[in-house]
Amino acid sequence: MSTATLQTKGLTVRFGGLLAVNDVDLDCRPGELTGLIGPNGAGKTTLIDAVTGFLPKNASGSVNFDGEEALGTAPSRLAHRGLCRTWQTLELFDDIDVRSNLEVASSRLTPMKALRDYFRGSDVDERIATTLELLNLSHVADRSPSELSQGQRKLVGVGRALVADAKLLLLDEPAAGLDRQETVWLGLQLRRIVEAGTPILMVDHDMGLVLSVSDRIHVLQFGKLIASGTPEEIRNNEQVIAAYLGASGGDE
Amino acid sequence: MRYFEFGILGFGTGAVIAAIALGLVVAYRASGVINFGHGAIAAYCAYSYNSLRTDGEIPIPPLPNPVAPIEGLFNVEIFNLPTFISVGDSVATIPALVIALLIAAVLGLIAHYAVFRLLRYAPVLAKVVASVGIMILLQGAIVIRYGSRAKQADRILPDDTVDWFGATLPIDRYLLLGLVILLTVGLWALFRYTAFGVATRAAAENERFATLLGVNADSQAVVSWVLASVLAGLVGVLASPIIGLTPNQLTLFIIPALGAALLGRMSSFVVAAAAGVGIGVIQSVLFLLEQNASWVPDLNIPQALPFIVIALAMILRGETLPSRGAITAGRLPEAYVPKLTRARVSAYSVLIAVSVLIVMFAPFRFRSGMNNTMVGVMLGLSLVVVTGYVGQISLMQMAVAGLGAYAVASFGTDAGLPFVVALVLAVLAATAIGAIVSLPALRTRGASLAVITLASGLAIQEFLFKHEGWFGSADTRNTDAPSLFGFEMGPNSSFPIGDGKIPSPGFGLLLIVITVLCAISVMRLRRSRLGQQMLAVRANERAAAAAGISVAGVKMSAFAISSALAGMAGAFTAFKLGQFTADSFGIFVSLSVLAFAYLGGISTVGGAVMAGTLFAEGIGIVVTEEWFNLNVQEYTAYVAGFFLILTAVYNNEGIDGFQRTQFYNLVRKIRGDRSPTPAATAEEVTA
Repeated sequence: MSTATLQTKGLTVRFGGLLAVNDVDLDCRPGELTGLIGPNGAGKTTLIDAVTGFLPKNASGSVNFDGEEALGTAPSRLAHRGLCRTWQTLELFDDIDVRSNLEVASSRLTPMKALRDYFRGSDVDERIATTLELLNLSHVADRSPSELSQGQRKLVGVGRALVADAKLLLLDEPAAGLDRQETVWLGLQLRRIVEAGTPILMVDHDMGLVLSVSDRIHVLQFGKLIASGTPEEIRNNEQVIAAYLGASGGDE
Repeated sequence: MRYFEFGILGFGTGAVIAAIALGLVVAYRASGVINFGHGAIAAYCAYSYNSLRTDGEIPIPPLPNPVAPIEGLFNVEIFNLPTFISVGDSVATIPALVIALLIAAVLGLIAHYAVFRLLRYAPVLAKVVASVGIMILLQGAIVIRYGSRAKQADRILPDDTVDWFGATLPIDRYLLLGLVILLTVGLWALFRYTAFGVATRAAAENERFATLLGVNADSQAVVSWVLASVLAGLVGVLASPIIGLTPNQLTLFIIPALGAALLGRMSSFVVAAAAGVGIGVIQSVLFLLEQNASWVPDLNIPQALPFIVIALAMILRGETLPSRGAITAGRLPEAYVPKLTRARVSAYSVLIAVSVLIVMFAPFRFRSGMNNTMVGVMLGLSLVVVTGYVGQISLMQMAVAGLGAYAVASFGTDAGLPFVVALVLAVLAATAIGAIVSLPALRTRGASLAVITLASGLAIQEFLFKHEGWFGSADTRNTDAPSLFGFEMGPNSSFPIGDGKIPSPGFGLLLIVITVLCAISVMRLRRSRLGQQMLAVRANERAAAAAGISVAGVKMSAFAISSALAGMAGAFTAFKLGQFTADSFGIFVSLSVLAFAYLGGISTVGGAVMAGTLFAEGIGIVVTEEWFNLNVQEYTAYVAGFFLILTAVYNNEGIDGFQRTQFYNLVRKIRGDRSPTPAATAEEVTA
């Protein structure tokens, strides 16, 4: 048994004739922030979609999450098992306030629980307050997410994933649309989350962010994994440099 | 051989179903709208054509007469709006057909420019609601202008028979089939090979990119809407002598047509047309089977066929229904968290007190109007749960209510169970049926629940309520008055206080108590965890699933709760009337329930209260009729359709949301408050 929280083996995603993710083996380890980078169209988001159960018909191979196979399991069940994600496009629930956004994700609602909650009123969940505090969102808890700044909205998404007792957070481009300062601040929050015990797999285009906060990095190109290693190793990896500079691949 | 003959005879209805299905597919491919009003367009054209042929008249849709309330108050007649444009005694076939098709084209243009173009970026909910509005509006217009009785339809296709394949059959069936084949091939070629078709397909794939490439998605939508309407109109005119000319029949052909179009994934003309013709043929053969073959149970199976087809289509192909890569920016109606401020508690108390006074001391019509309003509020609440909170549409609320009414008649009166037990059983029965019906639609998104509930509403009406022997052969069953602790509280029971006239205050008070309890339950639901999950599902199904919410479970529980409320409303309708009658629970009543609920305000309890006052013979209608001397009843469906469209397009929060914002602004003005509105505070937070 590997000690990794998430381990993919030969993960492949096919859309008709297109191989979006091609035979990828990667892992995320406990206590680490893992970066996943690659040029546009490399298959990063597709990989996250596949791992979180949104592409049941296109994905093949194996995804071991927390000791169990994750492929073929519905997204809501994976969320209950602690595999939680955010979206590039946020996808918050704008109809309910920030606190409720976290509350709906915080516990599994069985019919019995729903009835008890209905007749007795909702219990106050300490974790929600703690998480709002951790993400610096307490003062906006009663507002609709649509009234918040882009950076805060991103954090609501992260918070929603966190309160679901996440064993692993998958973040899809958390820094997209943020300015320099907000990005640095976001990086600090993400490190705090990892230090608090929840490992993260993060996809992002902001190389500065990924290189500065990640413990290890995987690099995808055209759906294939071309490199894995520490930020230092990745920075000096020739294949990665070639992939990012594109045309210089002709030098070989 | 007889079966073969009946099969061929089925080409008549089959062709109509196929043509409407083709129109649905055209409109869907061009604008991503499932138009529930497409059958009604065909019906309107068929009526216009016949009106031209027999009387030389073009119907003008009823227009509001702005001075009518003044006329009513002072009992004078100032002026009347015209109802028809006369173009001579009777018009020849060809010009009449041309005018009828022009009317179809105009209806298509209106549907596009006045409704769906404005809803381009709106959520699916608003589009479906608006198209249901079109359906009610046109059907209502036909009933107002021509009455609801069947009419003799003028024939264009020859009345001869031919002796093909060893059977002597009317030639018009073959001609209609030929026409449908021709139309299908034509449409297929149009979308496949012409620049128009390619552009439409591109726009359906990704509207943003298509627009950047210079495709004008708007002009394509115009062409498609006109095309779809003319198609429906043409076949409506040609086939009405075969299928009969009634306001409901053609309008309701939308249901099998939806089944056919769904089997074609709302994109294949060939499959949609073939399935449409197939449904017609199978229905016709089933009729004969049911009459002749002893092994086929006499269950009205042909009536249930469209429902079966739709359920199958959803199970088999629902997940693959293509969604448009459209840009949506529209908002869903705000579901305010009910806050019990002192002002609101006192407002509700006054409201309840007034209701109590009305049911105890007001004259007969006002009293019964109040009773109707209470039932209407319950129906409105049932839609607040499923449509307001979860964003799914139910078009079968009255069918579910009917089941509640039927169950209360069976358990309470026939089986002699006590009132409370019978009521609980009735509510449970309605809940179960509602949950079961929603099953096929749970895995699909968008308009699917609307489609399946429309079909099952009709199936319940035809299959259960009208079935001889099951639900009472005479369509009616008596219901005893409800009684609690030996105290009878029916509409005709005696009551110690008041003038002793009917409807009894006892019944009115019982209704008020039940309605208030229902309203409080729905408010609590909004605040509960389940209510939050419902709103999360409404906002974003994908994200809800990722947040660990069982989307199917939430939808189903919403549907069950909604059905329970509708069942309750049905049970009290039965008590109110003293009997169960199938006619009170028809499909068009269901549609107008949605219309009034949406108009009142679909996502708040206050909206349901508003809806109750407007609903059939509700207190609001009674007041209008008694004080302003207006005959509103006749126009109810028509006006409901009109306002439903208006609400969907301009103010999706309905009257309740409207008064909330007005009230909010007013309070701010009085206080001289200059703080920014909640929507404007985003900047402040960023800074």
